[in-house]
Amino acid sequence: MDATSGTSSTALIPPEPAVAGVRATNLKAGPWWRSRTERKNMRLGLLFISPWIVGFLGLTLYPLYRTFYLSFTRFGGFLDAEWIGWANFDRLLGDDLFFKSLYNTFYYTLLAVPIGVVVAMMLALAMDQSLPEIPLYRTILYLPSILPLFATAFIFMTLLDPQQGLVNDMLPAIGLNPPNWFGDARYAKIAIVGMAQFGAGQMALVFLAGLKGIDTSLYEAAEIDGAGVLNRFFKITLPLMTPVILYSLILGISSGLQVFTQSFIITNGGPANSTNFLVFNLYRNAFNYSNQMGYASAMGVILFLITVALAGLVFFTSNKWVNYD
Amino acid sequence: MSKFAHKHINRRSVLKGAAATGFGLGAASSVYLPTAFGRQEKGKVVFWTTHSGLGFEAMQKIGEDYNAMGGAHEVEIVQRPPSSSNETDSAALITAVRSGEGPDVYLLDRFIVGERAASGLLEDITPLMEAAGDDTDLSATFAGFAAEEAQYNGAIYAMPFDTDLRALFYNVKLLEEAGADMAAWDKANGPMTWDAIAEVLHSLDVKDNNGALTQAGFVPYFSQGWHYTYGFAFGGEFFDYENCEVTPDNEKNLQGYQWARDYCEASGFQELYDFRQPSSRPGSSPTDSPFIQGRLGAMISGNWEFAGFKEYAPDTEFSYTFTPVPAEGDPSVTWAGGWSTVIPAGAKNPEGAYDFMKYMTGADGQRTYVEINNNLPTNLELLGDAELLGEDLKWFADQFETTRNRPVLPVGAKYWDEMTAAWELIYTGEAEPADAMAQAKENTMADMEAGGYCPIEAPE
Repeated sequence: MDATSGTSSTALIPPEPAVAGVRATNLKAGPWWRSRTERKNMRLGLLFISPWIVGFLGLTLYPLYRTFYLSFTRFGGFLDAEWIGWANFDRLLGDDLFFKSLYNTFYYTLLAVPIGVVVAMMLALAMDQSLPEIPLYRTILYLPSILPLFATAFIFMTLLDPQQGLVNDMLPAIGLNPPNWFGDARYAKIAIVGMAQFGAGQMALVFLAGLKGIDTSLYEAAEIDGAGVLNRFFKITLPLMTPVILYSLILGISSGLQVFTQSFIITNGGPANSTNFLVFNLYRNAFNYSNQMGYASAMGVILFLITVALAGLVFFTSNKWVNYD
Repeated sequence: MSKFAHKHINRRSVLKGAAATGFGLGAASSVYLPTAFGRQEKGKVVFWTTHSGLGFEAMQKIGEDYNAMGGAHEVEIVQRPPSSSNETDSAALITAVRSGEGPDVYLLDRFIVGERAASGLLEDITPLMEAAGDDTDLSATFAGFAAEEAQYNGAIYAMPFDTDLRALFYNVKLLEEAGADMAAWDKANGPMTWDAIAEVLHSLDVKDNNGALTQAGFVPYFSQGWHYTYGFAFGGEFFDYENCEVTPDNEKNLQGYQWARDYCEASGFQELYDFRQPSSRPGSSPTDSPFIQGRLGAMISGNWEFAGFKEYAPDTEFSYTFTPVPAEGDPSVTWAGGWSTVIPAGAKNPEGAYDFMKYMTGADGQRTYVEINNNLPTNLELLGDAELLGEDLKWFADQFETTRNRPVLPVGAKYWDEMTAAWELIYTGEAEPADAMAQAKENTMADMEAGGYCPIEAPE
């Protein structure tokens, strides 16, 4: 393909070598659709990303539209959806269980996400040590993250068993009363927050990449100026890692609000609805109860709006604490 | 170097190749055409079950026997993974049916037939029964409680298969050691009162130095100690058809819950809960049961336990008696669950589906199931067959007259979940029975009202 063919305007621009990623046609003046080559490029480009486009339209945009539509209906999945206006949203306002599940979800997210950032940062710092056997340590630290949540759930059920679990065997040794983790409404959510940290390795890799991107000369200069380890971390590492922290916060909030699997597998929402999270509540309404698909969709809409609002809040306040230098 | 390496592949050669391949495949498939058409002559019936082990083996045998009869239809027995630990979850079936890939017959927990019928997931089989000239009075063929669960608002949506009944099981040696009056525990002498069993069973509680129970007499909510168990046993009701409302806070239900709460309080709320926990977590094995381990004096459970006793604790002597009663002379009331065959909406071969359902739930199909899986049948023809049932199952079958079933409601699953959450609060001492059940009632009625289900026809 001849990248320089096209309009006469090419002649006005000094010729540049067609290096990787920069093509001369990109520098041409005028809209892309006037150029035959660019139109062809666009067609090819669209063709190449068409699997994503089909997926996005069919598996994201359409379900989103359908969820919004169903939230205004009474629907059981089989008979015709019946338009009932705002009735589902009205009902949500008086539904104690909805607010309880919302509270449980916020409780989980507000604990699990910040703790997750701290754990991921600690893991990344541990993975960043210059030791000859560091690849082995990185593998060990990352390993729990590749376990499916289902497997992690069973490991935690065994570890936190009130009578035979390793954790409760050890707690009396440090003077703590061993609780019934998944069986006590006061501790069940905390146990699930702890369990979430098993997957911190995933984010730790992103943090590690961030750490690797920090110019080592900054540390050397700080060390010459007499800065200690803590000073170097808080004055250099942390500020320069804020873009990565922002990314992990937005991702964490989004996945935290969708917490489901743990209560589905381990607690079935109990004890006494203490682990009945919003998505669990939504799932029950959609698939366990009859004609509640519309009500479940209304919960989905609320969850969507909350997620967008929180992500937006974090994003728009980020210019106060994120450092892009 | 390959002899083809120097050849150019042009558009013409590709087209020629494709045509030749197509022709070849067509020719090859034609060899199998007679067989394929031969299969289509018989209407295929796809049957799904989430059962495993002996239950699934028995269903496979039923399928083989049905096919061997050489009728107009041929059944394929397919095992599907269970949806979750929650028996009201039908997500897999719902999504399969929505995508047009559902089965012709599905084995559904009978208690949620009403729920699934209300949402349009199930076909009304009354027209199929009428077309086949069959009796639409299910209670003429099946036990009354099972027939009731198969119907919703005057239409028939299921044909009952097996059932299970609850009773009080006990460890003979532990009770003897506690000095219990074993004659009173003998089922031949009728039911005992709840207070009488409490007295003996509390004395079996043993705690270690940390205060944890290493042995317990009874855990009211272990195994089948559900809200329904105590409600029915104390003479309560769960639905008021006249006012179209759920009644978890029925006065007699509350008496049952109060008894259970008092029992837990006396043994220690937390201690009992911790004692039960290892056996209640998902994926726990039968050997995690403190009853199998010989550390639990008695439990409310069902007739399916016999197989487990034989396999996991063959040397321990277990026995069983009636579900206890509130006062001397009261009738012992228990409740039954079980499974049923249904035709999901959009089934490709409903006539074949009904034909197979009739065989599977008929005397021949249920007989095979009892023989292989040792389950209680619902088919009236088999209930008097002492030789088939054996002594234990026969005793359970004899309780059918006083056996109740959960009300058939379009909010049955919601009602169950709400009562279960309330029940947890009651037996852990977190709430008073009346308060917890009032909340369960309010939440369930919100779904009833939103669904506009009232009035609901009372079963005959």
